[in-house]
Amino acid sequence: MKLRILIADDHEVVRRGLCTLLQSREGWEICGEATDGRDAVEKAKQLKPDVVILDVGMPNLNGLAATRQLVQHDPRCKVIVLTITDSDQVIREALDAGARGFVLKSDAARDLVTAVEALQRNRMFFTPRVNDMVLAGFLDKGHSMSRSTPPRLPELTPREREVIQLLAEGKSSKEVACLLNLSTKTAETHRSNIMRKLGFHSIRDLVVYSIKNNIIQVQMPSQAASPTDPAA
Amino acid sequence: MSIRILIVDDHPVVRQGLKALLREHAGWEVIAEAGDGFEAVDKADRLRPDVVLLDVSMPGMTGLDACRLIRESTPECEILIVTQHDSPQMMREALGSGARGYVVKSNVSRDLVAAIEAVSQHRNFAGLHREDAAAG
Repeated sequence: MKLRILIADDHEVVRRGLCTLLQSREGWEICGEATDGRDAVEKAKQLKPDVVILDVGMPNLNGLAATRQLVQHDPRCKVIVLTITDSDQVIREALDAGARGFVLKSDAARDLVTAVEALQRNRMFFTPRVNDMVLAGFLDKGHSMSRSTPPRLPELTPREREVIQLLAEGKSSKEVACLLNLSTKTAETHRSNIMRKLGFHSIRDLVVYSIKNNIIQVQMPSQAASPTDPAA
Repeated sequence: MSIRILIVDDHPVVRQGLKALLREHAGWEVIAEAGDGFEAVDKADRLRPDVVLLDVSMPGMTGLDACRLIRESTPECEILIVTQHDSPQMMREALGSGARGYVVKSNVSRDLVAAIEAVSQHRNFAGLHREDAAAG
């Protein structure tokens, strides 16, 4: 029986690259592709893949929030998170969301097949750089880790995280309501709860917060000189 | 029409994706790949491709610097920038650096083939996602 894999990335060129990489393995098939986190959650529910590969920086619903929803829906769901950054916070959030694999996009060509194989054997996989970091933190008994670790995010519900991303992407309460199948009033309640919990008074604060916390990712032309997203 | 192509991107998975998209076109041949600007300049000089697909954000030498050097050393070779930067400012910089065309990565399925056809015939191609920018 073939191992069925669902791939989610908002860039077709990356999806094509991942498909080419994974389809070359005998016994593996790409059962579906998704273009954002929401699409990935829907397709995973329909297609019931053995492994889901999720990009972190996707519009509408990012990969971390999508992981959370997928694992909540089915705790046996095996998710590999693909990311451009190995920051402590993203790693922690990915693990907290229930991801069983963590691969840097820059290393995907080298590590992704190994990661899928690991999950196939019910094991976890961390890209070597992440492994080193986790091990260093463990050996240091939280000494250096705790100093470099940013404060934990305020307790937000999964729904509030979804709403934050959509608001930070510039959507109105009405648009948020429409996308999440809520009434406008409920969307506005979520919005005011979020602003209260985070102590914010403007959407600008929310956008800055979302960028700092990898809820949304932006690429400025001035960053062109440094390597970043594989889609860059 | 036969077109010899050099693909330059620091992420192997993106290079694979581009190759997969190009494979569908008979007569188009990916003659080499490069993972950074230095390698791109070297391979363009040695292999003389018709078209270079060039990423912008790469370690060492950026795509725009590589673009200028390739245009100097291999002026017959046309350069198509393939980038995430959906920005008129970046497009102007790229064209000012000697690129013949500009494609945003989120639009490759829509634009890549038309862009390669255009630049290989020494015609400009400017593809931006944003409608306001595309008009500019």
